[in-house]
Amino acid sequence: MRVAVIVPAFNEARSLPAVAAELRAHPLRPDVVVVDDGSSDGTAAVAAGLGLGVVRLPFNLGIGGAVQAGYAWCAARGHDVAVQVDGDGQHDAAFLDALLEPLRAGRADLVVGSRFLAPGGFRSTAARRAGIRYLSWFLRLRCGARVTDPTSGFRAAGRRAIELFAAAYPHDYPEPEAVALAVRAGLAVAEVPVRMRERAHGASSITALRSLYYLVKVSLALLLLPPALPRQGARAVPAGDGRAP
Amino acid sequence: MSHQDVLPLGMQLGALAILLCFLGWVVWLIRTEQLSLRDSLLWLLTTLAATAVTAFPQLLGRLAHALGVQVPANAVFGAALLYLSVNVLSVTLVASASSHRIRRLAQECALLRAELEALRAARGAEAPPADHLLPPGPRP
Repeated sequence: MRVAVIVPAFNEARSLPAVAAELRAHPLRPDVVVVDDGSSDGTAAVAAGLGLGVVRLPFNLGIGGAVQAGYAWCAARGHDVAVQVDGDGQHDAAFLDALLEPLRAGRADLVVGSRFLAPGGFRSTAARRAGIRYLSWFLRLRCGARVTDPTSGFRAAGRRAIELFAAAYPHDYPEPEAVALAVRAGLAVAEVPVRMRERAHGASSITALRSLYYLVKVSLALLLLPPALPRQGARAVPAGDGRAP
Repeated sequence: MSHQDVLPLGMQLGALAILLCFLGWVVWLIRTEQLSLRDSLLWLLTTLAATAVTAFPQLLGRLAHALGVQVPANAVFGAALLYLSVNVLSVTLVASASSHRIRRLAQECALLRAELEALRAARGAEAPPADHLLPPGPRP
């Protein structure tokens, strides 16, 4: 099973070495690709120096556009599994195996790592947890997905989910919407418990003021989901077969 | 109901002049290729319709009557709002489609650059470094 790790990174040059070391030490030996989302702190150079794959976007596309570029990279290279790991060090590589287990067993096409299924770890503030609970409820109401941590960016995608996300991925605040998209496309979504850490450097991209906008925007996006399934197999970003001669 | 009340002659001529200037401007922009015909077709058609209504205000009276609007002047406001809303929506559609395409282009550029650098690395040091490629630009 060929495993890739997509690390979307916007100005994460300081956090990347630790993230890379952790992924390197993992027995799965995943191909790691850092998607530099138009950083100004030399994130791409740091990633290249660490010997990681680098996809450097020419300008900032936001997390959705960056993650989609990562999925397109994996789709072109024929990886069986793509794991999303944030570049800020929040996600613990020790949980990679737990994330991959439902994919290996063929029980799921998309596995979300949830902070709320097991005790311990960083669980965010009470207000945010309330928002997450609301999103979880709304997601189940809207498309029947049972996900306790829909905002988690720690997730693993099987081949079908990679193809889907390479062709169509939501923008702005994509995580809950991506789950809905997968369910709508007939993919099986599972959730496993993970522990998260507090980010080591920098601030979360979602400030207190933006939280309300986040909730409204994501709610609207879920409300206005396209009625029909996205066209399967529509490869939007062709990039050769991805192998050097 | 007298149609003369819909638009006084002076105002009618003034409005016609403005609309014709606007129409001429749009046509000039298209002919000098500053505006694509495809994106401006709606402007052309709706402005032509506005010109027709201004030239023959009886049309407006009939429209107001058909819509059950008591005062034809209110039909003018309604039609003007509709005219603007439709055109602004069409502009937003074009902007949305463009930003989607730009996003895909940026991703494809980044993937091709990754591909190129992998190829160069595989061929060894014989190729020049990729320093000539543009650095990341200013962010919005």
